[in-house]
Amino acid sequence: MKALDIDRRIIFIFVFLGVAIPLMVDFTLPIKPTPPVIAAYDAFEKVAAEKPGSTILLSFSYGASTAPEMQPMARAVLRHCFRLGFKVVAICLWPDGVGLAESVLAEVAEEMGKKEDVDYAFLGYKPGTIAVILNMGQDLHTAFPVDSKGVSLAQLPVTKNIHPLTDFSFVFDFAAGDSIEFWWIPYGQEKYRFPFAGGCTAVMAPDLFPFLQSGQMLGMLGGLAGAAEYETLIGHPGQATEGMRPQSVTHLIIIAFIILGNGMYFLSRRSSGQATG
Amino acid sequence: MLFLTRTLPLVIAFSCGVLAIAIYYVPHSAAQGMEEKLTLWLRIVAAFAYFLGLYSLLNLHWNRIRQHQAGWGYSVVAAVGFGLMFFFAVINDGDGPFAPQAKQGAYQWMFDNVQVACASTMFSLLAFFISSAAYRTFRARSPEATILLVAAVVVMLGRVPIGAYISDLIPEAMLWLLSVPNLAAKRGILLGVSLGAIGTALRIIFGIERSYLGGGEE
Amino acid sequence: MRYLPLCTVILALCAQVHSQPEPAPIPESRPELRPEPKLESRAESVAGVEAFDTPNDAGGSITVTWPKHPEASASTMYTVFLADAPSGPFLLVATVGADGSLKSDNPGMFGHDADNSHTHFAHIEIFPAVGEDEGTPLIDGKAYYVKVGLSPADDSVIPSSDGFGVPSGNAIEAVPGGNFFNWAKLNNFILGTFICLVILGYISVARRKELYIRRIAGLEAIDEALGRATEMGKPVLFVHGLKGMESIPTIAAVNILSRVARRTARLGTDLRVVNNEPIVMAVSQEVVKEAYLEEGRPDAYNPDSVFMAAPDQFSYAAAVAGMMVRDRPAAHIMMGYFYAESLLLAETGSTTGAIQIAGTDAYTQLPFFVTTCDYTLMGEELYAASAYLSREPRLLGSLKGQDVGKLVLIFGILVGTLMATFQMPFLTHLFTSY
Repeated sequence: MKALDIDRRIIFIFVFLGVAIPLMVDFTLPIKPTPPVIAAYDAFEKVAAEKPGSTILLSFSYGASTAPEMQPMARAVLRHCFRLGFKVVAICLWPDGVGLAESVLAEVAEEMGKKEDVDYAFLGYKPGTIAVILNMGQDLHTAFPVDSKGVSLAQLPVTKNIHPLTDFSFVFDFAAGDSIEFWWIPYGQEKYRFPFAGGCTAVMAPDLFPFLQSGQMLGMLGGLAGAAEYETLIGHPGQATEGMRPQSVTHLIIIAFIILGNGMYFLSRRSSGQATG
Repeated sequence: MLFLTRTLPLVIAFSCGVLAIAIYYVPHSAAQGMEEKLTLWLRIVAAFAYFLGLYSLLNLHWNRIRQHQAGWGYSVVAAVGFGLMFFFAVINDGDGPFAPQAKQGAYQWMFDNVQVACASTMFSLLAFFISSAAYRTFRARSPEATILLVAAVVVMLGRVPIGAYISDLIPEAMLWLLSVPNLAAKRGILLGVSLGAIGTALRIIFGIERSYLGGGEE
Repeated sequence: MRYLPLCTVILALCAQVHSQPEPAPIPESRPELRPEPKLESRAESVAGVEAFDTPNDAGGSITVTWPKHPEASASTMYTVFLADAPSGPFLLVATVGADGSLKSDNPGMFGHDADNSHTHFAHIEIFPAVGEDEGTPLIDGKAYYVKVGLSPADDSVIPSSDGFGVPSGNAIEAVPGGNFFNWAKLNNFILGTFICLVILGYISVARRKELYIRRIAGLEAIDEALGRATEMGKPVLFVHGLKGMESIPTIAAVNILSRVARRTARLGTDLRVVNNEPIVMAVSQEVVKEAYLEEGRPDAYNPDSVFMAAPDQFSYAAAVAGMMVRDRPAAHIMMGYFYAESLLLAETGSTTGAIQIAGTDAYTQLPFFVTTCDYTLMGEELYAASAYLSREPRLLGSLKGQDVGKLVLIFGILVGTLMATFQMPFLTHLFTSY
């Protein structure tokens, strides 16, 4: 049947409308946080209770293409970290993550009244991925002698007493690629055994469940939905929560097309069966 | 010449491979110091790879422009884009190339409004492509395909708030699918891939695998 | 009788003392009048203390262990003292709560003995300084002396660093030093060595006899795809994926490219290899050139057929997708490690009607390839592909060795799960990494 071979462009139009219209029409959907996201939130809270005012490391391992998915997640996590009173050290392991990391740090720091070098420090990007992590494991000051402005880490209040990775009370990676599974866990967490959690794009989230189950990751935020759940937990809805409207509608549209396709498929089988019978 | 293109790289691969493995098991400060040195060298090599990539790219597009190959106009666009970004990175909003990167300026504007916009647009194409792929392939042709179809629908509903709105069972079913069958499959593949990686690494260390040197058999 | 008056005086004095009225309570506003609590001049010494160089470390640390004291309670704590001479002075270096730091908390160092949950430990890395000075790291090769005491947990009676509260008894000597082997990783070392020896052994066996490898459907389809391209007079498109030459899937992809290039040389089919990384491109050029030379068709090799499209992920995807739509290759062979661009490539390719064979160990991208390609090599099948196509002993032997490794892991998982179910965690501990 011809309906089985719907022109892709019709599907594209419906998907486009499914994304565009909910962005313009305001309606709320209840967001229920899932256990991996709750676990990440609880991990931050626990560390803040045990080591108040300690320093944590945020690693930005995403680029321009995944910015719409990862920036809301970074904002939510940063808000939570600053609210808990952590000192934040941020690094980039992807070169095109530098501008994104800097902008989200500056934005949230200004919102929460935090000062650069005192409450947070941005160390910029260094090539080498796993080599950088191994260097940081021994001494952060070897891996990043200066911050992104060229100031020595020994002079910054946030970093002067931080040396091996284990001096950080928590490490969190925002990943759009291999950084959690192939960099941070085998060369970081497994070797130095620090508390670790991560956020990733939605397509990568199923990849990381084994590490959640083994305890190598204490929690995980998966995609825009994970970011929306985290915004709900911290009580500060933002772009991720808004993104749940188009995402929900689009998922329903795709499911509707799948049901339609299967309906057409079974009808065509029946009609071809009748024709041969 | 054969020494430089074949023998020396194999010697380096062998010695560095064995050293890196040994360092993993030796906690002595001498070994840790060596690891620090090796990783610093690795970072230097990684940084130089960017220069190699830059040269290759510019050379490729220059040849296309020079020879007027098909699509050479796009090579002009690529070269101009590169030139512009490089120029404004050097200008650095008036601070020069040796100052920290400025947070304003033409370079940052181009990154935010061209690079981020184009890259995220390309990434967003996936939404359309997955829709058409899902329509075409998620057909209940067999019991396995039906299970795949049902699992896909459950996960799609469970990942968005509307699933919990319909029923609390949907997010729970989604989590079960991800935490049990998905985890088992992923772990199995991960174990197999890791063993494959060990095998390939061994072949490289012992010089049995030489394809990375470029052609030629053992 | 002579001492009767003296006794009377003494008795009278005693009566006077007992008849003294109770002292007036000290008002809350005058806390400085409160007497200091009576303190024991020495903490109670703990028996069974052992002190030794911390194992499996780079040096500069000693470990002290001691069994739980029978009189320890929630209101007491252990105090660990250190000196650099047997006679002292002993300085406080650590305090451990009555329930803190048990050996069972650190199985990597202390194992899984039943007694470990009744034995405390402390790691000492800093030799404390008196006054405001910071402590100094322990020096390798220098002898230090340790004592452990039991004190009330009340803050007001924490022993000071001037020797107050130091238990009596002999000190235990320990000398820190770096270690040459991390015994906590012994299980990893044995397992890793075993797998390495098996792989190398099978490579050696494969040189002498033919090893069986099962049929892989996707690889048999490559011949069909190349034949189809030849009949249609269309090119074959080969895509490596995004990772560099240092990654295993790219090495496997290059091995497959070598075989594909030999066949296209033999058939006279046009081959296009699109790269996104300059080193991979350089290797691919060499590999394809070699393949054409070996087939005796050096004239058919076109250097421009192996080129770099773009280094950026989506620029590369756009370039390859454009090529698929414009040039309409009859066969798309996508082997390597892919990221999000996998669906862009595979879905675009499926609309052109080309036969598509994909292979990747990127778990996340497998569903996209499975739904859009005609054949998909999953995970290890990508690594097996190069062995399958070439039948080279080194590759076949390596594959067999990996299979033995998998058998060991399967055995470990099945038997270990069963044993753990029956409270026998031996295998679980054997496979735990520390």
